[in-house]
Amino acid sequence: MPLKDVIAPFYVWKRAFEKPYTTAKPIEERPGAASYRGFHTNDMALCVGCGTCETICQNEAIDMVPVPGIETTAKDSGLRPMVDNGRCCWCALCVDICTTGSLRLTNEYIWVSTDSDGFRFIPGTGDNPWDDKALGYRRDPGYRLMDYERQDMAMLTPEESARSFLEVVKGYSAEQARKEAERCVDCGICIATCPAHMDIPEYIKAVRDGDFETGLRLLYRTNPMPATCGRICTHRCEEVCSVGHMGDPVAIRWLKRYICDQVPESDYADILRDQSTSNGRKVAIIGAGPGGLSAAYYLTRLGYAVTLYESQEKGGGMLRYGVPSYRLPYDQLDKDIDYILSLGATIHYNTRVGRELRFPELMADFDAIFFSVGLSDPYGLGVEGEDHPRVLSGLKVLEDVTHDRDPDVGRRVAVIGGGNVAMDAARVSRRLGAEVTVLYRRRIEDMPADPEEIHEAQAEQVKFVTQAIPVRVEEGPSPRQVNIRWGEAEMVADEKGGRPRPVLMEDRIHTETYDSIISAIGQGGDYEFLSDEYADRVEMKRGKVIANEYRQTTIPKLFVGGDIANNTADAISAIADGHQAAVGIDHFLSSGS
Amino acid sequence: MKQLFDRLQALFGVTDFERKRDDLAFLKVPKDHAEMLIRHLRDHEGFSHLVFFSAVDYIEDDIFRLIYMLHNYGTRDTLGVHVDIARENAGMTSIHTLWAQAALYQRELKEMFGIDFPGSPGVDEDFMLEGWDEIPPMRREFDTRAYAEKTFFPREGREKSDPRTHMRKQFYPNWGEGE
Ligand SMILES: Cc1cc2nc3c(=O)[nH]c(=O)nc-3n(C[C@H](O)[C@H](O)[C@H](O)COP(=O)(O)OP(=O)(O)OC[C@H]3O[C@@H](n4cnc5c(N)ncnc54)[C@H](O)[C@@H]3O)c2cc1C
Ligand code: SF4
Repeated sequence: MPLKDVIAPFYVWKRAFEKPYTTAKPIEERPGAASYRGFHTNDMALCVGCGTCETICQNEAIDMVPVPGIETTAKDSGLRPMVDNGRCCWCALCVDICTTGSLRLTNEYIWVSTDSDGFRFIPGTGDNPWDDKALGYRRDPGYRLMDYERQDMAMLTPEESARSFLEVVKGYSAEQARKEAERCVDCGICIATCPAHMDIPEYIKAVRDGDFETGLRLLYRTNPMPATCGRICTHRCEEVCSVGHMGDPVAIRWLKRYICDQVPESDYADILRDQSTSNGRKVAIIGAGPGGLSAAYYLTRLGYAVTLYESQEKGGGMLRYGVPSYRLPYDQLDKDIDYILSLGATIHYNTRVGRELRFPELMADFDAIFFSVGLSDPYGLGVEGEDHPRVLSGLKVLEDVTHDRDPDVGRRVAVIGGGNVAMDAARVSRRLGAEVTVLYRRRIEDMPADPEEIHEAQAEQVKFVTQAIPVRVEEGPSPRQVNIRWGEAEMVADEKGGRPRPVLMEDRIHTETYDSIISAIGQGGDYEFLSDEYADRVEMKRGKVIANEYRQTTIPKLFVGGDIANNTADAISAIADGHQAAVGIDHFLSSGS
Repeated sequence: MKQLFDRLQALFGVTDFERKRDDLAFLKVPKDHAEMLIRHLRDHEGFSHLVFFSAVDYIEDDIFRLIYMLHNYGTRDTLGVHVDIARENAGMTSIHTLWAQAALYQRELKEMFGIDFPGSPGVDEDFMLEGWDEIPPMRREFDTRAYAEKTFFPREGREKSDPRTHMRKQFYPNWGEGE
């Protein structure tokens, strides 16, 4: 044996007394590099629990879990990611995809424990010492796994649109629709906000896959008027879209429209294959607006013999007689209505309950009744002189246009109000050749109208005068004209924390002459048809009919929905009510409660 | 570094010069000139240090992109050399003759991407994945999630919620029931 081998062990022993080259763990810490990918932390207030981190993680290291103290809200699922560091490989995909930028990795990487369950933790709770550490991996601001920009929608130019009733929005091309659909992160947070709880991520996936048949079937599960809603829905889903935290929300409404645009009406029956067997029971529906039509669809599918009574000559309610055709072309509304009625419901047009037919007769003849009669009584301006013949109601103007009658608005028009009816009346008047001014009591940002509607009206040269309160209507210089006195308002903060109120400034009054003043400040319900016998038995609060979650009124066999019952007063809420009432009626008639 | 690029362009047909920082730039060279270029950079341009050698799978374009990161201690410049090679029967000239430690990187690339470097010492030996019998895991057609699912069974009692059912439970538990 060579001498070197003999003394080697002693040589090594000598080293034992020197300063070691390695670092003793866990006694001494060596900090990770500034952008090191170590343990997770999460800004709990910023995180909305979309679960995109969980979806992207290839190691299934993340579970979304409820966390005490975190509440579920419209924009926040209330869940938070829990990370299993036994599975994590610190690739940081979860950080890169995070829709809010709340999740990141700290540069802390040392953890010694004998409890393997301890390595599973919820980042950001403050339980871990690194939760507040500023260093570590963050997504580079210029680096995006997601596409933040929405596909542009092709529209008529304002010059073209202000002169015609052609549909303003042209719809996506196949390429655009696919790209837009790819922006969805499939979190499903929007489903809760949609009044009809449509399965939004699934139908968006159908667009992505180019599978319109599946898409159409998914739409009809919760909404039998998708061609309509794909155009005019208030799309509150888009307000809560997770992608909207850092980019434009996904164009959910346009994607819905896209599916319907791909399927011709003649194919609907084959694709949807709605079949039912008669259960021998009869339900009457009063009003063929979206509420009544939706109830008719789901009730027919459940096997009920449905009879609709509609006072107008066609169905659709305010969607036909209110919403103008440049936003919702009649053929698209008819596409939805035709399919619903093709399933076998009977409809009596020009039949007003309370006039052609008495409500108590229906109560006697049918097993259950659903009514969704809408709000048809326009509120007056509430000022002296409001009965002047040149003061027109917005609803009446819009209805005239649907009936192809000239509403005779004249060349100079003032529209009073800030909601959808006001925007529609203003834009319709533009198309009829008038110069239009909208007078509104509050500020633009307080307007209940859809912001897109306001922008489009502005682009079409509708003039907006805000913080303007009508004071009096007076005779104009000629019988075909009318004067309005209006005063400027200042916004006064509300002591109780409510929204600021406009207060008239008595010394800032103006007088202006118009050919007509269109009043569009809201509308109320007309309950006369209920007859004295029942009117008192139906409970109401602030002009709305009270109903339980199945839309059942205080009269057990009477169900209600739509604008007359809900506080959101839009098409999709009426559709949701119709669906839920159908389920409620089915429960009621099969179980008797 | 721009001057360097101009010189190399004339000699080796390099393209796609991209300056990321004052002291960091990338360029691209055809596969057949790559070994010559790198040797030239090492021996005549001062890039004596191989910082790392890696690859990216651009499955959409049917290529692997090799990245040779070189450093010049004199000028403190770092230069990335990109070389695109076909994914099918992927292979590349070995550079272990230039830097002995390249053999280790090449062994890793063989294991992770299936890129062969004929003649590189130990290139076929296991690098990290002892007993691996799947396709190389860094190839994009490798389904990491499916592998994780079948290999790493969930902890006992592991539970998760998803936003839609959780929100439904909170906000509209009785919706649309009965169909
Ligand atoms: C101008 C305007 C623009 C709008 N824009 C939008 C929009 O962009 N997006 C959106 O989502 N919503 C919009 N809305 C609201 C939307 O139209 C309504 O929320 C929706 O139509 C309400 O549906 P409903 O079923 O409650 O009633 P309605 O649509 O009002 O339908 C009620 C139906 O009942 C009939 N009826 C009433 N009384 C009787 C009776 N006694 N007997 C028989 N039939 C009767 C009526 O003729 C009518 O057809 C708009 C409304 C207006 C007026
Ligand atoms: S870092 Fe990668 S492996 Fe770890 S939890 Fe995030 S996505 Fe999963």
